[in-house]
Amino acid sequence: MLLQQLVNGLTLGAVYTLIALAFSLVMGILSVLNLAIGELFMLGGYIGFAVIAMHFPLPVALAAGMAGAAILSVVIQKVAYEPLRDAPLVTPMLSTLGFSIILQNVVTNVWGSDPLQLPSEMFDNRVALGSVDIGVMQLVVVGATVALVAIVAYIVQQTSVGRALRAVAESREVARLLGVSVNRVTLVAFLISGLLAGAAGVLISLHYAAITPYIGVDIGLKAIAVMVIGGTTRVFGALIAGPLIGIVEVFTIAYGGSQIRDLVVYGLMILILLLRPQGLLGGSRQDVGPRV
Amino acid sequence: MVQGRRLFLSGLVTAALVSSAQFAYAQNTITIGAIVPSSGPFAEWGRANTVTLDMLEKQINDGGGINGAKLKLVILDDAAKPAQAANDLRKLAGDDKVLAVAGPLTSGACEVTFPVANQMKVVSTSQASSKPGVAKANRPWAFRNTVDEGILAKTSVPYFKKAFNVKSVAIIYDAKDAVSTAIATKIMPTIFTENGIKVSNGDSPISFNTGDLDVSAQVTKLKSLNPDGVVIGADYSQAVTVLREMKRQGLMKPVIGGTPLISSAILQAAPEIPVVAPATFYATMKTPKAEKFVSELQPLLRKTSGLPKDIEPSMYDANIYEIVSMYIDAIKKADITGKPADLEADRTKIRDYMANLKGYEGFSGPVHFGADGDAVKNFFIVQGQNGSWGTKVTGCSASGGGC
Repeated sequence: MLLQQLVNGLTLGAVYTLIALAFSLVMGILSVLNLAIGELFMLGGYIGFAVIAMHFPLPVALAAGMAGAAILSVVIQKVAYEPLRDAPLVTPMLSTLGFSIILQNVVTNVWGSDPLQLPSEMFDNRVALGSVDIGVMQLVVVGATVALVAIVAYIVQQTSVGRALRAVAESREVARLLGVSVNRVTLVAFLISGLLAGAAGVLISLHYAAITPYIGVDIGLKAIAVMVIGGTTRVFGALIAGPLIGIVEVFTIAYGGSQIRDLVVYGLMILILLLRPQGLLGGSRQDVGPRV
Repeated sequence: MVQGRRLFLSGLVTAALVSSAQFAYAQNTITIGAIVPSSGPFAEWGRANTVTLDMLEKQINDGGGINGAKLKLVILDDAAKPAQAANDLRKLAGDDKVLAVAGPLTSGACEVTFPVANQMKVVSTSQASSKPGVAKANRPWAFRNTVDEGILAKTSVPYFKKAFNVKSVAIIYDAKDAVSTAIATKIMPTIFTENGIKVSNGDSPISFNTGDLDVSAQVTKLKSLNPDGVVIGADYSQAVTVLREMKRQGLMKPVIGGTPLISSAILQAAPEIPVVAPATFYATMKTPKAEKFVSELQPLLRKTSGLPKDIEPSMYDANIYEIVSMYIDAIKKADITGKPADLEADRTKIRDYMANLKGYEGFSGPVHFGADGDAVKNFFIVQGQNGSWGTKVTGCSASGGGC
């Protein structure tokens, strides 16, 4: 059971990683907590679900879910963030919260509140490795997460877009003086963030072969905890914190009960913040101050 | 001659009284309230309830109303939140001056709303709550058109044991839902033990929370207990995720639960896994009244946006239809005027009518209410497998056994 639970935890952690990375990109670069990301994740799942239900292959569903969430993320940037960019930090955060509630309501009205289900024979193939039974979709979830994180890492570290993102993260004003288009960089951050959230939504909904309009809230909050534990100023802190939280959560359920699951996960977050306020991979304490 | 004049005068007086009563009804609108969860986790049930009530309202008004008065149903959403349900009841009773209220749906909402119904002296009858003792604790204004899960399990468990040769079970439940928690932690462990079946995790049943889509860790633990059968304490929308994960992990064991499992959606989750649950109504049941109800309601449900295209009327649609129909019968038979001045007296008459109801013909046969406020009616132990429900045992919730 131990190894099986480890696989369950890694799968969950992979999804947390993707969503936390989506939060981190906007938070680490723009210092804004986009609370609609949880619902972008949910919406991506519904789009992927709809595409699969129309008998398209998984890569098409993944692309559609990512594209749908990315487009909406750009809309959020234009409507909920850009007009409020110079307002106190809490203002755009509340604006994105409003967006998330609207999205949940829209999805509930379009697709209903019951879980949507795929036919049970889809994506149910499994591979037995000794005593561990791994679903093919679990492998797809972990594999796709690794691939997407690698792509984002390449973009952020090796491309001119990435350099611009990092420059804006360091100082918006200095970046502007150096000729970086801050508006364009902001748009790119929201776009990549939406792509990642959409991908996570498609992967998780197809893994469980079911989705509900309420999935975004709980997983979104966990992803924020993952981002905080990993370090809000370090985009790739989620890479360590995601699997850590996934495994801690699964083992808490298995050996303690789901009643104490959130207590342990968020308790761990508070503990890590007390010991390392900048998170596991966060930089020096000086760059913690101005962030939300 | 004098006698003839007297006869003529008394005829005039009678005619005047009758016509004035009818005039009063015609002037009045009979207003009944309903509390349903049109948003939130049980929105599907609430929205289907709303369609059901709209259909009933139209049927009554198309048929000439209630003694000539127009029926108006005021339907409020509680989002399955207890505080909102209590506020809804206050508004319906205080502002809308309804004669009686159908709902709320969940046991959690009933536990908070029923005391308010007693305080405001208005009948409130739940269409779905089945946690033991919820109406009993809130007499005399609280009723439930449902059967206590404890009574139903006394029939479903022996069937489950015999049908699947079950010697041990393991329990998984939704810890955030009141009736699911009661089924999984109190009712089922006791009744399984009484039937000589080992409950592998009776002391520490496996739990999850409403809204969880990932129950892989719970099902892995469930599988490690190697039970002959699985008890799921959850409503169908949550049970779907458990059944899916059971199938994914190869735990193909028969499942038993309470009335909240009854739905068409659960049959699609893992069609190979048999699911046993009690019901007082299901869409494919074969009684003339039920068949007529389904044939009328199902097309309306299926063309309502936000509801699944393959939705069928649920037990809770049938229950709320019965509840409002009972209120209408009470208005017709219990000398209820519907006048604002008589509101308090009219509400009391509806309460007394419900408490003394005899032989109301429901979808599963005659219905009346026990001293505890719960419905006494026929029920069925049904088994869902390969896409359809089938009746395996029929019973009655009366303590003596006969309805």
